[in-house]
Amino acid sequence: MSRSRRILLTAAVVLAAPAASAAAAEPPEILVSRQLLESRSLSVGDVVRLSSDPEGDGARPFRIAGVYEPTPDPMKLTSRHWAVRMHLPDLMELNAPPGDPFAAETVSRINVALRDPGDAATFIGDLQARLPGLVATSTTPDAAVFVVLERFHLAIALVTVLGSTAFLLALMVMRADERREIVGILRLVGLSKSRILLAVLVEGTCIALAGAAFGILFAAVMQDAFNAFFQWHYDTSLTFIRLTPGIAVRCVVLAVPLGVLAGLVASWTLLRREIVALLRR
Amino acid sequence: MIVEARGLSKVFPMAAGPVTALHDASLRIAERDYVAIQGPSGCGKSTLLHILGCVETPTGGSLLFDGRDVAALGDRERSRIRLTKIGFVFQRFFLLPMLTAWENVELPQSEAGASRDRRRARTAELLEYVGLERRAGHLPSQLSGGEMQRVAIARALANRPGLVLADEPTGELDEATGGNIADLLDRVNADGTAVVVVTHNPMLAARATTRLRMASGRLLGPGERE
Amino acid sequence: MRPAALAWRGLVRQPARASLGIVGIAAVGALLFDMLLLSRGLVVSFRDLLDSAGFDVRVTATEALPTAGPPMEEASRVCATIGALPEVEQVVPLNFGLATAPDGGSLYLIGSGPRTRRTWTMIEGEPLPDESPPQGPPPAVVNRNLARDLDVGPGDTIRLQIRSFPAMELVVTGIVEIIFDDAEARTAATTREAYFRLHGLPDADTVDLLLVASAPGVRSADTVAAIREAVPEYHPFSNADFVARFQRTDFTYFRQISFVLSTVTLFFAFLLVTTLLTVSVNQRFAEIAALRALGFTRRRVVADLLWESALVVGAGGFLALPAGGLLAVRLDAILRDIPGLPARLHFFVFEPRAVLLHVALLGLTGVLAALYPVFLAARLPIAATLRKETVS
Repeated sequence: MSRSRRILLTAAVVLAAPAASAAAAEPPEILVSRQLLESRSLSVGDVVRLSSDPEGDGARPFRIAGVYEPTPDPMKLTSRHWAVRMHLPDLMELNAPPGDPFAAETVSRINVALRDPGDAATFIGDLQARLPGLVATSTTPDAAVFVVLERFHLAIALVTVLGSTAFLLALMVMRADERREIVGILRLVGLSKSRILLAVLVEGTCIALAGAAFGILFAAVMQDAFNAFFQWHYDTSLTFIRLTPGIAVRCVVLAVPLGVLAGLVASWTLLRREIVALLRR
Repeated sequence: MIVEARGLSKVFPMAAGPVTALHDASLRIAERDYVAIQGPSGCGKSTLLHILGCVETPTGGSLLFDGRDVAALGDRERSRIRLTKIGFVFQRFFLLPMLTAWENVELPQSEAGASRDRRRARTAELLEYVGLERRAGHLPSQLSGGEMQRVAIARALANRPGLVLADEPTGELDEATGGNIADLLDRVNADGTAVVVVTHNPMLAARATTRLRMASGRLLGPGERE
Repeated sequence: MRPAALAWRGLVRQPARASLGIVGIAAVGALLFDMLLLSRGLVVSFRDLLDSAGFDVRVTATEALPTAGPPMEEASRVCATIGALPEVEQVVPLNFGLATAPDGGSLYLIGSGPRTRRTWTMIEGEPLPDESPPQGPPPAVVNRNLARDLDVGPGDTIRLQIRSFPAMELVVTGIVEIIFDDAEARTAATTREAYFRLHGLPDADTVDLLLVASAPGVRSADTVAAIREAVPEYHPFSNADFVARFQRTDFTYFRQISFVLSTVTLFFAFLLVTTLLTVSVNQRFAEIAALRALGFTRRRVVADLLWESALVVGAGGFLALPAGGLLAVRLDAILRDIPGLPARLHFFVFEPRAVLLHVALLGLTGVLAALYPVFLAARLPIAATLRKETVS
């Protein structure tokens, strides 16, 4: 969707058929991603031929020295992680346009590790002042996308809470109606409205706490199930759902008062009626 | 002959052991009969009434309704019998609380497929019959116990059944109101409908032309004591 | 009284319960509707965006996204070859890069070949000429953000630089809206000649992307096939191919989440209706037994319950549509804050199909949710219930 400014070197590299090590010189070593290794049924020690030409022209042998797990990147979730890591001179040699005198001096980007990462903005400014036209950016992960997604998920959660509250109220109203006669008898006997409401409060709190605890437990189980499924589906080690203590506390803080309040509201609508009306069928 | 019951029995399987609620009960109910069934609580009166009304299936014996063996009938046919040939009156009235008196009486007629005009005429007639023509638009919650039971009787008569079964119709009513209901049932019977009433109320039982007594699930013969 | 009328009266008798059930269904129904909109919203919006440019086929060097892969060599030859195909009406070469603006900030720079179809929408001024003038500064068009930041308009000049190559002045001929610009993008477009001069490669003949318009009456797939045959070393694809690819990759998160949330909301609706109906049936055992004793068949009792479910789900589902529409506007506004997205891209796009699916899914849910309470009511032992209700 956005114009990508990264040159995907691996996209320009074509994996040719594995070949036996026939070259007199030992082929250079590379690392391949686990996904590539599995998809092409390769093994460590195999010699493969790589070319930057889609037709495979100019392919050169490389020996697979090892396999690595690509760092899970949520922004590349759906990408197939078919990648190799080569020594820079090997890549430059493989990828150099023929006849380009600057090929040996051309790289896509330069990563810089600062002594103090907090100096990144100053460093970038200095660099651009010295080398106008150079594009320098901080590598601090851009969380903007996930901030937006968090807001999206929060909005959905709010709607779900609204629906749940309506559901809860409906249940509480039905429960209260079931107890109409009992409440009528208690009032007839002499119990005050506040006394009955207190009993409802205690009962409602117990039920709400038990319900919230069950909900947290259910969420924990579902968390594992969802993560397992999506990790399998996307072949990644990313964690998709994480139930933190903070989130659990927030859920309990929201759910328990809602549950108690729903019970109180439903009971209050009953208690407002005349005792006789409560007892009448 | 409307109903002919032979050797009816009913056993309820319970966790603590089977309970025989009815044992070898036989009786006949003809047109215009007025039968009262009396007995102590738990003697099987209601069970017998439910079997006669095709609401309960007996464990043993046979029941013929208008000559047809009820056991051979499916649920739809038995429902049809209850809808068109039997009227039920319950101790607790069991009116539909969201329908007015008029609508409660009209309901069985519409279910039986009567036209709107016929339903209207019949409902008006029945509410007048039970003296509630001015309460037609009221909900059951707005009626007294006696009024509710009168609506229930009107409902029971909606499709002109040949038999009305009443299970403790005065059980929830005071004596005076109960008397009114008893008068109404007399009139129903006098107008040609057979009535079988299960009751503790001796005043109501005394109105019947045939009085049967039950004890421990058995219909007692003449002279037998409970 | 017909089952629908009796069911209606039953609901009206308990207005609080019925209203809350309807509100609950409306809330989850709104979410369901939105997830149905989301499931195809991006695809539909992206497809519309692509189609609005007026070009139905694109060509890149490899399968990599435009600008993510290597450029195509011998652009002139390739353009001429493709342009000569009978299936093709127009070919426009585009190059993409980054430049530095006079204010020190970066901007996207597009080098565009001659075009008759618009690759951008004119807001103000004159379109970009096909060629740079033989003398004088080359022309450029800028987007609104860049025009605002540099405080330039048609007729003004801007000075752009790429890396350490000499800076160059360009004359702004117009202000445009570029289809794929995100909300914050600063973009300028110039002739390819000026583009390459800025890059210090005046004789370069590469191109990052070819926009191709099929001739009238020619299917995009046919144009793709013809281009593939004419220049087999490159990668042509239609808008449909492009959309399908994004559907498999970048859009998959939103498809997944719409599927998951649709399932969750349907389950929630199912639970809500089942619970409401089951409790309602439990509270009305005496009524149901009395109706059965009066002669109502099982089928009739079942019909009453199904109608009750239909009324609650139907009313809630109906209210869910406008509620979902409003919610979709809000959710769309949230998601469009994702940086780098084309400003004209939407996540929630209305399709009549979504309404039909919403109705069908909720309807099915209502029926399934009624199954258990229907089972309870149909299997109710009449006499035992009457006895129990009398005693209690």
